Amino acid sequence: MTIKSRWTTKAGVVTAICGLASGAIGQVTNVPTAPAGSSASAVNQLQSTQAEQAELIQKLLGRLEQLEKSKAEDAQRTQATEKAHQVEVQKLQGQIKELESKVGSLEAGRVVPEIAVTPTDGPTTKELDQKIRVVERNTELAAEATEARAKDAPRLSVGANGFTLSSADTNFVLRLRGMLQADSRTFFDDSPYIEGNSGFLIRRARIIFEGTVFRDFDFLLNPDFAGNSTTLVDAWLNYRYQPSLQLRVGKMKGPVGLENLQADAVGSFNERSLANDLVPSRNVGVQLMGDIAGGVASYAVGVYNESGDYRNSGNSDFNDNKELGARLFLQPFKKSSVKGLKGLGFGVGGSWADLTFSVNGLPNTTGGTQPGYVTTGQQQFFAYLNTVQADGTHWRFSPQGYYYWGPFGLLGEYIISDQGVYNTATLARVNLRNTAWQVGVQWVLTGEDATYNGVTPKHPFDPRVGNWGAWQLVGRVSQLTIDDAAFTGNAFSNPDFSASEALSWSVGLNWWLNKNIRVLTSFSYTTFDGGGQVNPANALSLVPPATVTSQEEKVFFTRIQLAF
Amino acid sequence: MKKTWNLIAAAALLGVIGAVAVFSALPVSAKEVKLLNASYDPTRELYSEYNAAFAKHWKEKTGDTVTIQQSHGGSGKQARSVIDGLQADVVTLALAYDVDAIAEKARLLSTDWQKRLPHNSAPYTSTIVFLVRKGNPKGIKDWNDLVKPGVSIIPANPKTSGAARWTYLAAWGYVLKNGGDEAKAKDFVTKFYKNVPVWDTGARGATTTFVQREIGDVLVGWENEAFLAIKEYGADKFEIVVPSISILAEPPVAVVDKFAKRRGTETVAKAYLEYLYSDEGQEIAGKNFYRPRSEKVAAKYSNQFTRLNLFTIDEVFGGWQKAQKAHFADGGSFDQIQRANR
Repeated sequence: MTIKSRWTTKAGVVTAICGLASGAIGQVTNVPTAPAGSSASAVNQLQSTQAEQAELIQKLLGRLEQLEKSKAEDAQRTQATEKAHQVEVQKLQGQIKELESKVGSLEAGRVVPEIAVTPTDGPTTKELDQKIRVVERNTELAAEATEARAKDAPRLSVGANGFTLSSADTNFVLRLRGMLQADSRTFFDDSPYIEGNSGFLIRRARIIFEGTVFRDFDFLLNPDFAGNSTTLVDAWLNYRYQPSLQLRVGKMKGPVGLENLQADAVGSFNERSLANDLVPSRNVGVQLMGDIAGGVASYAVGVYNESGDYRNSGNSDFNDNKELGARLFLQPFKKSSVKGLKGLGFGVGGSWADLTFSVNGLPNTTGGTQPGYVTTGQQQFFAYLNTVQADGTHWRFSPQGYYYWGPFGLLGEYIISDQGVYNTATLARVNLRNTAWQVGVQWVLTGEDATYNGVTPKHPFDPRVGNWGAWQLVGRVSQLTIDDAAFTGNAFSNPDFSASEALSWSVGLNWWLNKNIRVLTSFSYTTFDGGGQVNPANALSLVPPATVTSQEEKVFFTRIQLAF
Repeated sequence: MKKTWNLIAAAALLGVIGAVAVFSALPVSAKEVKLLNASYDPTRELYSEYNAAFAKHWKEKTGDTVTIQQSHGGSGKQARSVIDGLQADVVTLALAYDVDAIAEKARLLSTDWQKRLPHNSAPYTSTIVFLVRKGNPKGIKDWNDLVKPGVSIIPANPKTSGAARWTYLAAWGYVLKNGGDEAKAKDFVTKFYKNVPVWDTGARGATTTFVQREIGDVLVGWENEAFLAIKEYGADKFEIVVPSISILAEPPVAVVDKFAKRRGTETVAKAYLEYLYSDEGQEIAGKNFYRPRSEKVAAKYSNQFTRLNLFTIDEVFGGWQKAQKAHFADGGSFDQIQRANR
């Protein structure tokens, strides 16, 4: 109800009361005339009534005035309050506008203008201002803390080098790597007695776990699922005091052969050369090693379980047949500014053992039934008689080197394996000095650098944008010569079956789609000196090595490889 | 035969180990030497200038080029980083306890490291003062003004900052030095931290909060940092209030022996710290508002630093080890104060 309406209502009430009063008087006026005695009494009564009514009216009017006055005061108070509220609202709106302006300036990075405040509203504005600043600063510090925590959080990375999980300080690292090599070998013009050796095979299928604990302890576990049973290829723990002084314990590649030490995933051909037949493949033992001056010089020396040529040490071997191995390799210009010499490396590796009646000290049996040596097609071309054992000293010596310059690469090594052997049937004993060498060349057709560690395509395969990866042309020649004394008097090997020498030529074209995927194709041609006397009447001549050496080996390799 | 083999194997191994030892012992080419100095928050300007001076000095003295890389952060945090593997050749931290931690937990240097250089291996000192806004609107004159309701103070967090620990101990010592007991000191420091609206992890962060973000009525921290703020932002914006009493802060320096040895930088690292005591090193310290140890250089800067009563941590708290255990270790006084203020 508005003030105006209230006044209207009051006027109506007054009118009504006045009307009531005049009505009462009129009624008195219209009263019938009474007799004289009774008339005076009636008049007095009437006058008395009129006086009471007049008094009542006065009281009512007085009350009305009080009500009107009270209501007017109420209205004034209400107006004052509303006015005060309006002033307060306007003041707050002004402060909000100032603060909004200030926040906008802060967000825009501008200098914050001073807020004009009067002494009376100053503290409130300052308090609000400080509160906002504190909230902003704490938000900023919280973001910094979050960022700092993120830096301290474990890191997961996925890339061409595998999957890596590491602590923020990299003192703890776990890297998951893998390798799959799906091969085919196709033999041409091979012996009718070994037909069917062409085919597809899973050459390597490995999940590799490697990493670091407590900053200085490295480890590697490398099982291979490609064979008929799972084999543990590498398993070692390495303490790295500093790069130049490391101690490795477990199963690892032997220190002798240069090609053998090259990673399985980056070799130029499906199979290593004939020279690799004369070096130990994996050794179990303890090895002191290191890279000095950032790899200008590298060394390794160790004591291992006995290991025949091209053979892995047994994971367990409880006898005194131990082998000492060592290697020194230099890259004197690795850090020089002469580009043409930076990729030059050379060194020497060797081993020495004194074995006692050891079968494991003889070469691997891969590709045949007796210990012996195999071709690049992994067929056995030389075998010892089954009564022969390793006995006496076995030493190896291998000068080796490589040279890489731009897309060109050259790798070579020469190996002597001087093996003491003993025929338990004839009691003959001799030291056989078998030798081998190999020279491999490569040219990366697409211009990438050739290196000992493979090729990194500049433009990984993506035909949609015209990228085709890297193409690598490779060639190799290698030869392995058996000591003639092995055949003298058929004392240790049968010259009718085993070759005394194998010479292998290989060419290939490799396609590096990217760092992880590679396609290899190559052709190897191997000739033999000696052996090959296949006689259908003699069952021993119907198996390798006679069936292998009876003709040249011509084999076409393919491989599709995933390695990360 | 087997004995012969064993002898040969042992001889060969010894030979290789010897060769490696010789290789390792060969001096690293000193033509280009890199040092890493892990330091605390507000020393950026000091070491920026000092590193250039030392590199010049070293070049003149030896002909070698030395490059010093700096890493800065809260003193405790820096010590933790070195313990965790940050291969710093030298540490220049805010308090001796942090270097002790590196010596004791990681054994990267011997525990008597303080004896290697003069003045307990602290080539300069500083103290804790107040920086207020121009005109000192809250009328702050001494420590007791900081605990009044409505006064907003900006120190850093003692859990992570060396300066903040010195600040904490200075406030505590103020009560003790004025006749109060431990309970009163704790009550005082509780009120002190009740007035803290923002917890920065380092002294430089606290300066940023107060100076750039314009938060709080008073910055409580390093004297050198207060001077630097005035130098950078102008005396028309801030002024320094020196309290009636404060603590003598002795930021220590030390070579991290094992890392320096591993990196072949022992000689340069040692010389780097020793040169802090030279006239030039002391001059640079004074110029960057640290109180020089050298009386000669200190005299030159005597007008810069207000004389005030300073107490040492040994005198009031029995050394850093005891102070750390009583106040800053988990469950110590500071944790109790934090819980009380929640």
